[in-house]
Amino acid sequence: MTVAGADVAVAGAPFAAHRVLGIETSCDETAAAVLLDGRHIASSVVSSQIDLHARFGGVVPELAGRAHVDLLTPVVAEALAEADLTGADIDAVAVTWGPGLVGSLLVGVSGAKALAMAWGVPFVGVNHLEAHLFASTLEQPDLEPPLVVLLVSGGHTFLVELEAPGRYRLLGQTIDDAAGEAFDKVARYLGLGYPGGPVIDAISAEGDPTAFAFPRALPGATYDFSFSGLKTSVVRTVERHPEAATADVAASFQEAVVDVLVAKTMRAAEHVGATGVCLAGGVAANSLLRSRISEAAASAGIAAYLPSRAMCTDNAAMVAAAGWWRLAHDGPSPLSLGADPNLFLDLIA
Amino acid sequence: MLLGIETATELVGVAVGDAGGVRATSTVTGRRRHVESLAPAINHVLSQAGVAIGELNAVCVDVGPGLFTGLRVGVATAKGLAQGLGIGAIGVTSLETLAHGALDGGWPGSVLAVVDARRSEVFVAAFGRLDPVDASSMVELEAPCRFAPAELARFIEAAPWGGGADVLCVGDGARRYAADLAAVKGVVVAGPTMAAPQPASLVTLAAARLAAGSPTLGAADIHPLYLREADAVANFAERSGSRASP
Ligand SMILES: [Zn+2]
Repeated sequence: MTVAGADVAVAGAPFAAHRVLGIETSCDETAAAVLLDGRHIASSVVSSQIDLHARFGGVVPELAGRAHVDLLTPVVAEALAEADLTGADIDAVAVTWGPGLVGSLLVGVSGAKALAMAWGVPFVGVNHLEAHLFASTLEQPDLEPPLVVLLVSGGHTFLVELEAPGRYRLLGQTIDDAAGEAFDKVARYLGLGYPGGPVIDAISAEGDPTAFAFPRALPGATYDFSFSGLKTSVVRTVERHPEAATADVAASFQEAVVDVLVAKTMRAAEHVGATGVCLAGGVAANSLLRSRISEAAASAGIAAYLPSRAMCTDNAAMVAAAGWWRLAHDGPSPLSLGADPNLFLDLIA
Repeated sequence: MLLGIETATELVGVAVGDAGGVRATSTVTGRRRHVESLAPAINHVLSQAGVAIGELNAVCVDVGPGLFTGLRVGVATAKGLAQGLGIGAIGVTSLETLAHGALDGGWPGSVLAVVDARRSEVFVAAFGRLDPVDASSMVELEAPCRFAPAELARFIEAAPWGGGADVLCVGDGARRYAADLAAVKGVVVAGPTMAAPQPASLVTLAAARLAAGSPTLGAADIHPLYLREADAVANFAERSGSRASP
């Protein structure tokens, strides 16, 4: 053994890791997972803080940071136990270092470094957005690039061409709110609670999606999105039609969001000659989005890949997958790695 | 062998030692880069001390009160090391670490530790010693609390350990509000070397406790001592007219 583990986690040298522990604390889920050989999920534990933040109608950064400190140790212990492994079996520790809430990120980064030092194994920082892209293919590794991935969550909304693992071309992104943010804001306005995505999805099943014609922002050639005008439009409509059924308003709103997401994704796929389209991020759990994108891909004759709901929302298996790949290509990260709340994908031209 | 982690203030400190003394320390100040600095500092101090990480028997950490970000980095790191190495953890407050430094330095009277809580507040606790020569015989005279600096003078004058007796005030809060404190009879404000809790004091204090038979805690049972609720909770309680639990 090297003295005090001083040589552990030397940056730069590629590393083939058999068993990777992944850690995710970028927002309001504390998660840990063990991934075998870059693709087999031995365990994936997610502790959600939704109840903690619900009464505030959104994630409170200081509360999230405090909760991560308390939850990380038991979540890691559970991920190891579920995988039937001990720390001595782990070959590398991967952790999200951005983007996200800085006070939450640094809990995961600190804990991951400490575990890697204790076990004498490499440590690797993972970009949360890249982790979502890995999640989109983790359950179906035989998908052939080029693929178009639509990443839609509470914090992000963008379309990216996945030319190969690690090679991403940005096609378009939201110019204001993220799609998940629009769901949260409209749900709050309609008095449906938090988080907005699942409640709007559920109540829309009882509503008429054609009841109101909400605007589809930024139609035409651009792959950029805009959702901030949609909430204003919902508010104006409800003011004008106070008698309108909430389910009809919700269903019409959801229809407008999904319409735009599907149209732009399919047009992008055609434009780049993609063999398939993938969904990623929390909003990818939306049932209308899933069925519409499947139908559209089928009629275009390309593959549609819809990750399981557990793989759409934040989890650590996707962090371990991206970390495994980064380790094999770029090697470990230095122990002086910080947390970057504004990190974006490393794009190719 | 004991590893000490000190990140409650802007100082990032690490020390290694046991009841026989501190073997190596490292301190970096004023850069607000706790997450970047801490892990490399731990490796550095371990290698300076010639101690392999696997030789550690326990990890001790300053749990606060202090900078929320610093506390989270320190406590999350201590938890990870304790969990990964399968060893126990010891939580020590920033206030007792500060006071121990002063008593160890030979101050014979009481010590008031004052940490700047920002937003015109201070975190405070008072300490004395049972044995005039043994700093580890430190006792808490006043439990950690938080109030406005303007109340400090009245607080000291009214206390049984204050009221004219010799009181040494240490910590960055004592430096910041030195003028208010120095006006109180018997009070001495310590110099800048006692402004931040030191990792060596942390290790000395924790090692003494271990030697005296104090048990260590599991990684899951060490928690930061914030002494202030999150703003959102305070605002929410104010809006809803109820008092949230602290
Ligand atoms: Zn995410």
